Amino acid sequence: MTYLTLAATQGAFKTVTVSERTAQAFADGSWILALVYILAAVGALGALVTVVGLVLIYAERKIAAHFQCRLGPMRVGWHGILQTVADAIKLLLKEDVIPERADKAMHLLAPFLSMMATVMILGVLPYSPILQIVDLNIGVLYVTAISGFGVMGILLGGWSSNNKWSMVGAMRAGAQIISYEISATLALLVVVLFSGSMSLAEIVQSQDAGWWVWRAHGVGLVAFIIFVIAVTAEINRTPFDIPEGESELAAGFHTEYSGLRFSFFFLAEFINMFVVSAMAITLFLGGWMPFHIGTGGAFNGAMDLIPPVLWFFGKTSAVVFLIMWFRWTFPRLRVDQLMYLEWKVLLPIGFVNLFAAAVVVLYNLYPFPIIVP
Amino acid sequence: MGRVDFSDVKHETRAFAGVTVPVSVVPRFKRQTYPTRFLFSLKSLIDGMRLTFGYLVRPSKVVTRQYPENRATLKFPERYRASLKFKFDENGYQHCNGCGSCERACPNGSIILNTRKGEITGRNEIERYIWRMDSCVLCNACVEACAFGALEMSHEFENAVYDRRLLVYTLNRYAGPTANVLLKEENLEARAAMMTKLDTYGGPVPMNGHALPTVRALGSPRDEAKPDGKGAAS
Repeated sequence: MTYLTLAATQGAFKTVTVSERTAQAFADGSWILALVYILAAVGALGALVTVVGLVLIYAERKIAAHFQCRLGPMRVGWHGILQTVADAIKLLLKEDVIPERADKAMHLLAPFLSMMATVMILGVLPYSPILQIVDLNIGVLYVTAISGFGVMGILLGGWSSNNKWSMVGAMRAGAQIISYEISATLALLVVVLFSGSMSLAEIVQSQDAGWWVWRAHGVGLVAFIIFVIAVTAEINRTPFDIPEGESELAAGFHTEYSGLRFSFFFLAEFINMFVVSAMAITLFLGGWMPFHIGTGGAFNGAMDLIPPVLWFFGKTSAVVFLIMWFRWTFPRLRVDQLMYLEWKVLLPIGFVNLFAAAVVVLYNLYPFPIIVP
Repeated sequence: MGRVDFSDVKHETRAFAGVTVPVSVVPRFKRQTYPTRFLFSLKSLIDGMRLTFGYLVRPSKVVTRQYPENRATLKFPERYRASLKFKFDENGYQHCNGCGSCERACPNGSIILNTRKGEITGRNEIERYIWRMDSCVLCNACVEACAFGALEMSHEFENAVYDRRLLVYTLNRYAGPTANVLLKEENLEARAAMMTKLDTYGGPVPMNGHALPTVRALGSPRDEAKPDGKGAAS
């Protein structure tokens, strides 16, 4: 009986986060270097948000079009490659309308809350061993907590708009996101049990000898499937897009938003897709680890040549593509079906799965040693 | 949730009140068990994903046309309908004898048919066939109503004009008898004598609801427009 395993790669990749470098620079008394690191980190985050947003929106439009026998944007630039840029400029130049009866302060605040929750998660993701801004020892908890923060923006936006569509959309979003967060967290706890750590960098390192999705004997696979379904619901994408279902609610919670503020919600939605995909691969698919079969050999050597950051973005794109594939294939669920799926299907399976994972870990029922650096 | 299995339908005869009738016995609606339902729905989801992925990886399935660029090589679906046309044979003769079925079939009066008594043949023949594209909905009822195959829906869709009046077309190229009648006459000059040449915009045209000779404005009484323009104010 052979298993897919990963060769020991820890020697090759030593994890150094940007925050560690900054702390080191402070300790050495080099204030300028520390400042450079901080500014570089902030700049990189901003650039990542912009690039990921533009690329994902273009990719979504193109992929959606080809799923539906269409061509998608073709006019602006080569194969419409500048279409997203043109649309972004249009959105920035549009009038920012605030409804007269809206709660103004909250109406203005909501998109920023939504956006902030997303950007704050980007800071803790391990993009590669040397490309991580800060590695929290409770990274998984932090991500769960902050992504729950995003629903605040949606609820606030829907409530303060003083519009029935927004209101209903926001209430649905609240019910949906909070429900599905339970399943996502249960799936995520399986990985925490196996890796014995909540730090994202250490979870990636623990998959040195095999990705959790198959190394955890089916428990990991079930957890991965539950996680993907739950996070698809959490980011309000079809088939779970009832909070903004166009055919029922105009545009749901962002009906009353226009211009820049609408684009904030829109961008947050797409960055969220990137974030949940990145979380899925970090927890289950080995993060930036290369794909290996067995130990040693030419194949593994060739895989090692690909830089970790490319592995990270490649795997993330694969999961993003999967989520887009879901969106353009499945019809939207009804509200009762949505709740049925969560409370009567995913939640019981998640609990049983977590229990099974606990038994496996407790009695050491798997042949692979767990490496905790 | 459940499914009726139509492969198990039984055909038999039964007696009802002394009459024997053939009946089809459909099996009872069976409720599926939970695992069956689960697997069935999972299978349907995977089927759907396979279908959409098939579209994604086969660019030949794309139906979008890049219109202005591919103007020279445009291909139309067989039943595409863009504008009404007369069918002409190889000599340029029409098949319309002015029976008026298309005019009666037209749901909103977009076809106005004027006929005349042929001076040479002495038979009823078409004088002017007016098609109002501005009110036509391209429903194809006229083509289906025509018993002589004189009409067709063509693929010419670039019909934009700067004046509404230019949307009123005369479809026949000549006033005169059908191809059958013309071909019986061997002498070409005699044939030509039976025909009066017309052009597309030769007839009178309406504008902003004003009735004009032979063309009735939409909503105006039917008597207003009569052949040869005598009935209408000019």
